[in-house]
Amino acid sequence: MFQPPEVEHVAEPAGEAAHAASEAFNAGETIIGHVANSSLEHPLIHLPPLFGIDMSVTKHVLMLWLVAATVFLLVTVTVRRYVRQERLVPSGFMNALEFVVLFIRDSIVEPNVGRKWVNTWTPLLLTLALFILVANVVGLIPIFDALALLNHTVLHLPEDAFLTQVTHGGVTATGNYNVTAALATISFFAIIAAGVKAHGFFKHWKNMVPHGLPLPVTLFLIPIEIMGMFVRPFALTMRLAANMSGGHIAILAIMSFVFIFAGLYGAVAGAGIGLFVSLPLAVGISALEIIVVGVQAYVFTLLTAVFIGMAIHAHH
Amino acid sequence: MELQFAFMGVAIGLGLIVIGAGIGIGKLAAGAAEAIGRQPSAAPQITGAVNLPLFLLEGVAILAEVFALLVLLLNQG
Repeated sequence: MFQPPEVEHVAEPAGEAAHAASEAFNAGETIIGHVANSSLEHPLIHLPPLFGIDMSVTKHVLMLWLVAATVFLLVTVTVRRYVRQERLVPSGFMNALEFVVLFIRDSIVEPNVGRKWVNTWTPLLLTLALFILVANVVGLIPIFDALALLNHTVLHLPEDAFLTQVTHGGVTATGNYNVTAALATISFFAIIAAGVKAHGFFKHWKNMVPHGLPLPVTLFLIPIEIMGMFVRPFALTMRLAANMSGGHIAILAIMSFVFIFAGLYGAVAGAGIGLFVSLPLAVGISALEIIVVGVQAYVFTLLTAVFIGMAIHAHH
Repeated sequence: MELQFAFMGVAIGLGLIVIGAGIGIGKLAAGAAEAIGRQPSAAPQITGAVNLPLFLLEGVAILAEVFALLVLLLNQG
């Protein structure tokens, strides 16, 4: 997948940090190595370039595929089984799924988009919400960190083994700015498509500027409205990615107190700080993150719905 | 020396972001609580009306934090 160069630069010192970690603990590099994508020079799976784009699979791309497959299988299997029942009574996981679907349709999409367009836009927003929610939740579960611990203590796999490379750091796919930028691009085009579908191609662009204003004001508003069109998906991108990596950064910064204090005052001080300061704080932030995970999926869906609704109900 | 000024700027900026976001969220929460206290039956509508500006505010604060972190990262390299 295409990666802007700055991510590459950020990811590079992470590899060096792994080598240097035995000598001195560097909190900044460890944290960035955990949050950033794995380096492009050593992707997990090598794939040939397609149209000049390197298609090799890195940590976040792998996670993206896993999350997409999980959502697809979970939803299709559950719904197929439900539809095949004789009496249409939801049970088990279908209850939760039905709650989510109804919540998104009735309290996010319908109030914003309007009754006429609910069935057009609910599928897209539902897909966005479920994907973001599952990606966020999977990022919160330390599966790969546990595997790394197992590898470090029991298995001792070589440096270039698949498991060793996978387990370098966290795996929140939505904590990567490229992933959220792709999601925001989808909502960017959805907003335009909603306006075009409701009003026709030329009317949609005319609707963006309020009618009935003096000409100088209208001319002044055009660049502002064009900027606003791009600022919205940009804000969506930044909000989701920053929230998702922010929690990880906070937890890791608190946990690195242990090593900083151990380096300064010895192992006992490190253990004490870890037990009485870092651990309770990290547990608290993890609890906060559980809320943030749901809220961010909700916010992304809500804002996309609001923007789609604004394009449809442009009564200027 | 320049590096230290960059760090100081980031720290001050982050503090200002937190102050601004705190004032904004506090005003929103106060307004919502007052409105719900006056008219408890309208609580869902009030919550809905408060949610959107709350998230927009949060987005601006997060953007500012990202740029503060960018200043930090760009000055490290």
